[in-house]
Amino acid sequence: MAWRNGHAVRVLRFAWLPLLDGCSQKGYWLLHPKGVIARTEWHTTVLDVVVMGVVVLVAGGLVVAFLWRYRAGNTLRRYDPTFTASLVLEILVWGVPLLVVGYLSYFSVKSVFATNPYDPLSLRHALVRPHQADQGLAHRASPARARTTVPGAQEAQPLHVEVVTTDWQWVFIYPQQGIATVDDLVVPVGARVKFDLTSATVVNDFFIPELVGEIDIMPGMRTKQAMIANDTGVYHGYSDDFSGGGFSWMGFDVRVTDHAEFRKWVRRVRAAPDVLSYARFGQIARPTINVAQRVSYFSQVQKGLFDHVIERVMAGKVYRTPLAMTENMTKPMKVRLIP
Amino acid sequence: MLVSYPGPWTPFFGRLDAQQIPLQNPILFWTFVLVSLGGVAVLAAITYLRAWGSLWREWLTSVDHKKIGVMYCLLGIVMLFRGFIDGVMMRTQQAMAVGPRSPGYMGALHGYLPPYHFGQIYSAHGTIMILFAITPILVGLMNIIVPLQIGARDMAYPYLNAVSFWLTAAATGLVMISLFVGDFSHAGWVGLSPLTELAYSPGVGVDYWSWAVQIGSIATTLASINIIVTIIKMRAPGMTWTKMPIFCWTALSTSVVGLSSFPVFTAAVALLSLDRYAGTHFFTPGLGGNLMLYTDLFWIWGHPEVYYVILPAFGILSEIIPTFSEKPLFGYITMAVASIAIGGVSWSVWLHHFFTMGAGPGVNAFFSIASMLVGIPTGVKVFNWAFTLYRGRVRFDVPMLWALAALVLLLIGGLTGMMLAMPAINYTVHNSVFVVAHFHTMLNVVGFACFGAINYWFPKVFGFRLDERTGKRAFWFFSAGTFVLFGSMYALGFMGMPRRIDYIPFPSWRPLLIAEEVGIVLFVIASYYMIKQLVVSIRDRVQNRVTSSDVWGTARSLEWLTHSPVPFYNFAVQPHINARDEWAWRREHGRGAESPEHYEDIHLPINTPLPLILGAWTFALGFSLVWRMYWLAALSLIAIVVLVIARSFQDDPGHTVPGARIREIEASYRNGLEPAGAAGDGAGGPVAYPGAVASRPQDNVPARP
Amino acid sequence: MSQEVSVNPATAVLWDPSHSEHDMITTRTLGFWLYLLSDAMIVSSLFASYLVLDHRINTAGGPGPRDVIHPVTAFWGTVLLFSAILAYGAAMVGLKRGDRRIVLAGLGGALLLGGGFLLVEGRDFAQLALQGMVPERSGYLSAFYALVLYHGAHLVFGLLWIVVMMVQVVHIGLTPHVVYRLLNLKLFWFFQGFIWIYVFSFVYLAGAVHGH
Ligand code: HEA
Ligand code: HEA
Ligand code: CUA
Ligand SMILES: [Cu+2]
Repeated sequence: MAWRNGHAVRVLRFAWLPLLDGCSQKGYWLLHPKGVIARTEWHTTVLDVVVMGVVVLVAGGLVVAFLWRYRAGNTLRRYDPTFTASLVLEILVWGVPLLVVGYLSYFSVKSVFATNPYDPLSLRHALVRPHQADQGLAHRASPARARTTVPGAQEAQPLHVEVVTTDWQWVFIYPQQGIATVDDLVVPVGARVKFDLTSATVVNDFFIPELVGEIDIMPGMRTKQAMIANDTGVYHGYSDDFSGGGFSWMGFDVRVTDHAEFRKWVRRVRAAPDVLSYARFGQIARPTINVAQRVSYFSQVQKGLFDHVIERVMAGKVYRTPLAMTENMTKPMKVRLIP
Repeated sequence: MLVSYPGPWTPFFGRLDAQQIPLQNPILFWTFVLVSLGGVAVLAAITYLRAWGSLWREWLTSVDHKKIGVMYCLLGIVMLFRGFIDGVMMRTQQAMAVGPRSPGYMGALHGYLPPYHFGQIYSAHGTIMILFAITPILVGLMNIIVPLQIGARDMAYPYLNAVSFWLTAAATGLVMISLFVGDFSHAGWVGLSPLTELAYSPGVGVDYWSWAVQIGSIATTLASINIIVTIIKMRAPGMTWTKMPIFCWTALSTSVVGLSSFPVFTAAVALLSLDRYAGTHFFTPGLGGNLMLYTDLFWIWGHPEVYYVILPAFGILSEIIPTFSEKPLFGYITMAVASIAIGGVSWSVWLHHFFTMGAGPGVNAFFSIASMLVGIPTGVKVFNWAFTLYRGRVRFDVPMLWALAALVLLLIGGLTGMMLAMPAINYTVHNSVFVVAHFHTMLNVVGFACFGAINYWFPKVFGFRLDERTGKRAFWFFSAGTFVLFGSMYALGFMGMPRRIDYIPFPSWRPLLIAEEVGIVLFVIASYYMIKQLVVSIRDRVQNRVTSSDVWGTARSLEWLTHSPVPFYNFAVQPHINARDEWAWRREHGRGAESPEHYEDIHLPINTPLPLILGAWTFALGFSLVWRMYWLAALSLIAIVVLVIARSFQDDPGHTVPGARIREIEASYRNGLEPAGAAGDGAGGPVAYPGAVASRPQDNVPARP
Repeated sequence: MSQEVSVNPATAVLWDPSHSEHDMITTRTLGFWLYLLSDAMIVSSLFASYLVLDHRINTAGGPGPRDVIHPVTAFWGTVLLFSAILAYGAAMVGLKRGDRRIVLAGLGGALLLGGGFLLVEGRDFAQLALQGMVPERSGYLSAFYALVLYHGAHLVFGLLWIVVMMVQVVHIGLTPHVVYRLLNLKLFWFFQGFIWIYVFSFVYLAGAVHGH
């Protein structure tokens, strides 16, 4: 197309290249969503940036244009210090932003429901009409046509994962499978995954940028999240709310596999010798920085462990952080690794 | 006592012992050495110049609003520099500690800062920058400018004004001493709950933070009361509400916001302190506490607080832009309305700071819309500034440069704010460096406005200009630093990088982290030029002297009517207000040079060391509570109460400056001399510079057609 | 060119030398009103905390409103407090008449009755503490103690202030400075009654009625 629009456009087109290149680089995770929820969120972002970008460019453009035209050196322009009020302009400057905010509000409300962690409508849409997974908000939000099918999304029974954060590790419990892991999350592609989350100590935030947005994890409370991953692969998850000395190491890999591989993985975990009881959980919950990113597997989980953790925390159970692992400057920090 | 915490306690020293001074930490050790040397140098210089007496008489004990304002600004600038050093340390750590293979130095696993040290740095940085740097600078500017703009002789309560200042100084002192005795909080400037609970932060860091911010917030509440009463009660005759300068409108709006929101913060942190000291369960996860209650209370203050700092900045822009466009402000009434609207709406948006906490979609949607509504009055301001430029004659002096760059930043920060205000977007960038970039863009609007204001009003207060050449260099480097650093930070936000990490697990973030470090280099150069600007200007103060009341030639509001530097009595005779931009009106109608025919006696309050002493005892109170030296805490509290009661017994009789003396001073001002007496009298006035008086000053205001 | 100018620039008055000093007393009381407003914000925060923490779950299995709230005791406290306010009102009548003796009598009455309130409240809380119902027990009790005792602390402060004012009335007399302080103290003292109405209805009455 550039050859038709002349030189300026061609230059512009190339000016975009580094940016695009940057995006395609590994790393811009939000720009390349691999899950239904993350995609809805990204499309909302695009919409908002485009709308607000136009408004802001108009405002900035006015400023720059006036600066240029009415700079002191430019004596050709009319100087008129009596121009200090104008009803028409006032109506415009209040009215136009009001309309824009109204327009954005409409999309904000829609996208809130679409991505509501407790019952994301965009997941429901993806399930009801698998061939129209991106209809509705996501479709309108972006002209880019996204994939229309989510393999395996019709699956009736969602996979349930209970997430407990400790200082500073992740415990993932699969109640349906009766297994648990530390710092390892594996889910089948295209399946609905429902998370229940709580913390044994302080507040954390559950975040897998490419798959699903954030939800707080709070001690003594239960929050929820749901997602569908569209593509197999390894993604990164981590806590997004500062929780103390080991926070920066609080990451885990999310492996999205096909269903056969997922079953194989479950069998492997079931073969692990370790068993997750509440007492064993207490050991994990001792402040530990998992520097080496080690994962552990538990072939069995005490029934109702998740609820039990919540109840104990509500009853006053605390896993104290030793002085040497907090802000204390006089005692050197001791890092406890997983044995 | 009532709660259990690790470590020893003795009745006399509480938790304090010699080990609490972290001498073995090389960073802190050298900081300590440098700060001590600096302190000794300053003290020696004062002694050498024999300035102790005048420092005490004219500054430390002053109740003059201009001097208190200047001290506020100085405090803020020093703390801004401290906050900047923190910023440099954080950025350097994040540029170094990338990937599992990056080496660690000085006891850190990666980079050179262990996690607990990094946590303290960003917490101190955020707390300092917002509460002890930007806020004091703005309160200082309001202190200096508001009474001048409304033609008042002082604030409504000069004594309370000094108390507010010294309480702020005491709180700042607590934050600073935490560097060398004990440690500071690691739970962020927001005091993340329940991380701040004793079980998860057993040290004294959180206590330093909590007492410092409690004292600081009380001081700011008092300052807000003072400004509101000043504006309501002390306006010059003829100054109706619609004739009041726009900066006063924003000062009023911001003070109402401050008055109503800071107490909530005080309450929230006081309850947290109860948890830590008395073992209560307000915000504990267990035993019936509710940690979300803290989050709510904090942000009910925290959000209005950010508008508390942006509103005066808007006021500053609204003063600078008309002056350098040589045109009155466009849409004065809507500007005033917009200021109040922003203050009002700021009350109903606090939940947007925790959209991810799992409130229902209805609640999130409500707060999303409310947040976006703030964009409307803000947009009105932007457009009105644009139309102020329209058909003007725009000059690009240093203050104007800062103001225009602030405008650009406001647009960028507004765009990203509107993104954050949509929950669906917020879910992906909450607590990421995208948020950090958003609020640095916005807070730099405030910073830019402050720098603009300092350049703009400096000649008014001190009687000489700031150097233009170095000022422009500082501006360009600072702007470049801002765009490079926070631009890269936005990009990192789209990569999903969380905030508050001291170790970067993903090497793919490295290039942008290095770009941010380049921004830091630009900032370092900028601060070199800033300091140089000040040094050069003081050195050349005689050449840069201004004698006309209106340095810029096109200023508009009342403060430009009186002399530069402002005499201690502000206006020799109470001016009568005829127009909205009184000074511009007089100038344009050829009556700017007129002075009153006769002078009357002026009554002024007497200086007193009591506010300083109160501040010192408050510092002792905070310090002893941090270390749980309960006897000293009780003693300080009693001392404070006794001092307050004692003060109420000796009414300030004030002192009277005879009209004849005023006539003398005014006459010498008109002859282009800075009268020696205007600085003295211990009652206020400009800083006296030896040499400045003797030499023949030149009016170097460029002539305007 | 500045808008809204109706005065003739050639004859406009530029100075107002006769402009009198601002009225000291109203300036002071306005500031004190604003202080009360800020204090009201703290009280509202405490009320909000109380309402949030006033659920069965927040008692952590410990005592709830029915156990700690004694509306009858609180009623007698209320009577005392409002009599103290009435007494202060009498002092204000004395102030209007310029009669120092009435002022002192009114202040003294307020002192005694206010002290009585504190005794009643103090005894009530001492009993609670002796029964182990201390603020450390649960979030609910923390909020209860904080809210009620914040009001109590204000009364202690008010009593101290009353004593100071009595001394000032005797030694300094009814000078403008003493008068504005008496007026501010009036605001403060009445404000405590105002807060107590809320505490009494939302904590004591409501607690006795609905419990958990
Ligand atoms: C007003 C507020 C304010 C300001 C101005 C700044 C300014 C800066 N901030 Fe700050 N920042 C915060 C408030 C502010 N910040 C807050 C609230 C947080 C969150 C804390 C938390 O997580 O809890 C934060 C967090 C924060 C982080 C995040 C850490 C993380 O979470 O990962 C970083 C990292 O780079 C950073 C860096 C900087 C830098 C480089 C600047 C630079 O812009 C600084 C530039 C300043 C100068 C260059 C100084 C110039 C002045 C002089 C030289 C004095 C002399 C002057 C004269 C003579 C006139 N800040
Ligand atoms: C001076 C400070 C300042 C200012 C002015 C603002 C202004 C705004 N902020 Fe910001 N914000 C902060 C300081 C500030 N903020 C800080 C410190 C934090 C984080 C604290 C922490 O967590 O540590 C934060 C965090 C923050 C969050 C939470 C992020 C998170 O933690 O997940 C949100 C979410 O809604 C938000 C939104 C907004 C909005 C909508 C505005 C609006 O007011 C912006 C309005 C401006 C414009 C919109 C641009 C100009 C207008 C036009 C050109 C007209 C056209 C406009 C429309 C059509 C709308 N901010
Ligand atoms: Cu927020 Cu539970
Ligand atoms: Cu906000």
